[in-house]
Amino acid sequence: MFNRLNSRNTLITAIFILILSTLLLGCTNSSNVDSASKNDNDNMLTIAWPRDVGEMNPHVYNPSQLFAQSMVYEPLVSYQDGGELKPHLAESWEISEDGKVYTFHLRQDVKFSDGTKFNADIVKKNFDTILNNAGLHSWLGFIKKIDRTEAIDENTFRLTLTEPYYPTIQELAVVRPVRFLGEAGFPEDGDTSKGVVEPVGTGPWILEEHKADEYAIFKRNENYWGELPKVEKIKVKIIPDVETRVLAFEKGELDLLYGEGVISLDDFKQLESTGDYETSISEPVATRQLVLNTKKKQLSGERVRQALHYGFNKEAMVEGITSGYEEKADHILPTNFPYTKDIDVKPIGYDVKKAKSLLDEAGWRLHKGKKVREKDGQSLEIELMYNSAEPIQKVMAETLQSEWAAIGVKLNIVGVDLTDQIQRFKENKFDINFFSNYGAPYDPHTFLNIIASTGFGFNEAISAYPNKDELLKQIAEVPQTTDEKKRQLLYSSILKSVQDQGAIVPVSHIKKTAIYQKDVTNFTFPANRDEHPFTGISIEK
Amino acid sequence: MGTYVLKRIMSIIPVFLLATLLTTGMIHLSSVDPAEAYLTAAHIQPTDEILAQKRHEFGLDQPFLLQYVNSIMKICQLDFGISYVSNKPVWDEVTYRIPATIQLALGSIVIAVLVSVPLGFLAGVKKNGLIDHFSRVLSFFGASVPSFWLGYIFIFFFSVKLDLFPVEGIGTWQHLVLPSVTLALPLIAMYTRLLRASVLENMQEPYVLFARTRGIKEKTIMGKHVLRIAISPMITGLGMNLGKLLTGTIIVEAVFSWPGFGRYFIEAIFNRDIPVIQCYVLIAASLFIVSNLIVDLIQMFIDPRISRKEGQQ
Repeated sequence: MFNRLNSRNTLITAIFILILSTLLLGCTNSSNVDSASKNDNDNMLTIAWPRDVGEMNPHVYNPSQLFAQSMVYEPLVSYQDGGELKPHLAESWEISEDGKVYTFHLRQDVKFSDGTKFNADIVKKNFDTILNNAGLHSWLGFIKKIDRTEAIDENTFRLTLTEPYYPTIQELAVVRPVRFLGEAGFPEDGDTSKGVVEPVGTGPWILEEHKADEYAIFKRNENYWGELPKVEKIKVKIIPDVETRVLAFEKGELDLLYGEGVISLDDFKQLESTGDYETSISEPVATRQLVLNTKKKQLSGERVRQALHYGFNKEAMVEGITSGYEEKADHILPTNFPYTKDIDVKPIGYDVKKAKSLLDEAGWRLHKGKKVREKDGQSLEIELMYNSAEPIQKVMAETLQSEWAAIGVKLNIVGVDLTDQIQRFKENKFDINFFSNYGAPYDPHTFLNIIASTGFGFNEAISAYPNKDELLKQIAEVPQTTDEKKRQLLYSSILKSVQDQGAIVPVSHIKKTAIYQKDVTNFTFPANRDEHPFTGISIEK
Repeated sequence: MGTYVLKRIMSIIPVFLLATLLTTGMIHLSSVDPAEAYLTAAHIQPTDEILAQKRHEFGLDQPFLLQYVNSIMKICQLDFGISYVSNKPVWDEVTYRIPATIQLALGSIVIAVLVSVPLGFLAGVKKNGLIDHFSRVLSFFGASVPSFWLGYIFIFFFSVKLDLFPVEGIGTWQHLVLPSVTLALPLIAMYTRLLRASVLENMQEPYVLFARTRGIKEKTIMGKHVLRIAISPMITGLGMNLGKLLTGTIIVEAVFSWPGFGRYFIEAIFNRDIPVIQCYVLIAASLFIVSNLIVDLIQMFIDPRISRKEGQQ
């Protein structure tokens, strides 16, 4: 009896020790690797990102992260401040009179990270694999219009379109899918949509090490053709939780936190106020807008929409809610985009009296003893939908609710999931919705395209515009223009008309924030919203 | 015995069928379809053309029941399909992340057992003593504090302020300490109370009295006899908690950036990545059933009276 008990005891103890030792063994093994990689690099910049960087494939979307793709792969044309399009991998280009043939002269000193030469053949090969999967990339306008791709000689590449499409050059600056993978990266069948063999690009960074969900280390491409980055390595730690990112930064485990939504505004403010860190705020990257569905009876009259615009103190709201990190917007697109300067819109300020009289004129009257205006037995009650994960939208919704109550409008607010928000917008199941445009380098043409196409919400939302058909015609005309002046005139007229009729109310300009340790210098935001900001950055020792 | 084990294992099948039917059904009831979620996450405009292509690729253009039956048939051949998001086999994605989760779960079980066995035992032996009071406070605290909050507090004090442990990540044993303690604390709270109650109950049993009259040393009675029998409900609790432990890792993994399965699952939910969700449900269901089974077997091993009862039936 005692023997049996003893043997059982030994067995249990043995199992226990086994479990414990496997556990500890597993830990010590990896610890050696970790400490080794830490010591030999003091010129390394460490940042945090909420999601894994994903596969380094220039031609796919999820789960690859834009900033990481842009570190390794480069475009023919780059988008710079103020919407200027500058040569990048293409030294220069010519556009034919009819706007259909684009001839690119490629830089001759560019090599992929594996030493192979960047030339017209590899450009064509990349374009052809992208076009094989054109359906998925059809959101990018020029992809659908490509008729032919040709490698004329070693350094000349020609793109022939089926019809003129002026945004082609601008769209070539996007991060995906039109960037270039080296020959060695292509799988045997040449189809990159299922994956690449190795991430060979021409960019300033090379992916050195990647552990999914843990970290990715990029090292400087010593043979880079352009300006060599100052830091030798960039380590991207994957930290999904926003508070943990801040704690890791406070502890000094991170050098830099940047990006949209990577740090909350509250945390940013709090960290900034300590004075222990440097901060920086970008130029506007997009406009936060309210989209009013004119199909809804209450919102079908222009005067009601204008009254709503007059009826809230935009400046105080934006200043108060974002602590000045966003700025009041008077235009539906930021004015630092191409063709968006000097749009002569009707200025609308905060004017409660005017708002009330507009509503009276429109027939929405406030009866005695009631708080909500009525017309033909219907009350002026509308619903605002916001993304429940975005605190700024939520607080703005609450502000609007109380401001509009003062002019006799009952606003119900409802918070939904982001995907739900987009879906309801698309299906036109909303009264008022928050939206923000795609930003550089996609706008202004993408924004207009969204307004014109059915199935995005906008087209249906502006149904009550008397000149809707005319607007849609003009929008369809813009991309085909070959004359700069005419194009600008069209843009001015469309953007003015869309805004003045009040279905899209500009609220604020969204900006990116960055916070970094004091020894990090020369941080600048790229003009392209999706591009990485690491080229000029350096760490003082 | 063999048929008993087999029967228990077979019970995974109906549990799994019901669980997957419920989860996929609920995803379909939600107004957002996975193709849409994919495009949102990709930051591209959801044109009808792209949506249709993705829906076809994911097989979402088929009727729901057909989709469900197809995926179950595949799972029976151990093919969990391709993740909507990463385009890679789900099984590869999951097996890549499971070791980290197991490491975390084992770490917290070890801590929970090492703390709660002596604590619960001593609290029971010396009722209303100092240790008993301490264990009571700890249990209240552990049972009521939400783990995400506790995680932040631990990071703030032990990592940012005292610089004893890293804030996040995986690799060394130091990385393991904070997340596993966070995960272990609710377990400690529960097991300590369970063991204490069970020790108190056993001390009233006649065998303790007999042992005392036989003149056996108090230490031997407590250590060799009372503890052995009293620990049985705690083992049951431990087993029942294995499944819960897996789900508990979700929050802890997110807070501590632990690259495990729970964190991956949360992302899959946001992306409506149905194949990944189904795989998680299967693993969770199997874990619940298998861990209960293992507990029963260990119980029989430690206290042979249980298997004798089983045999009589």
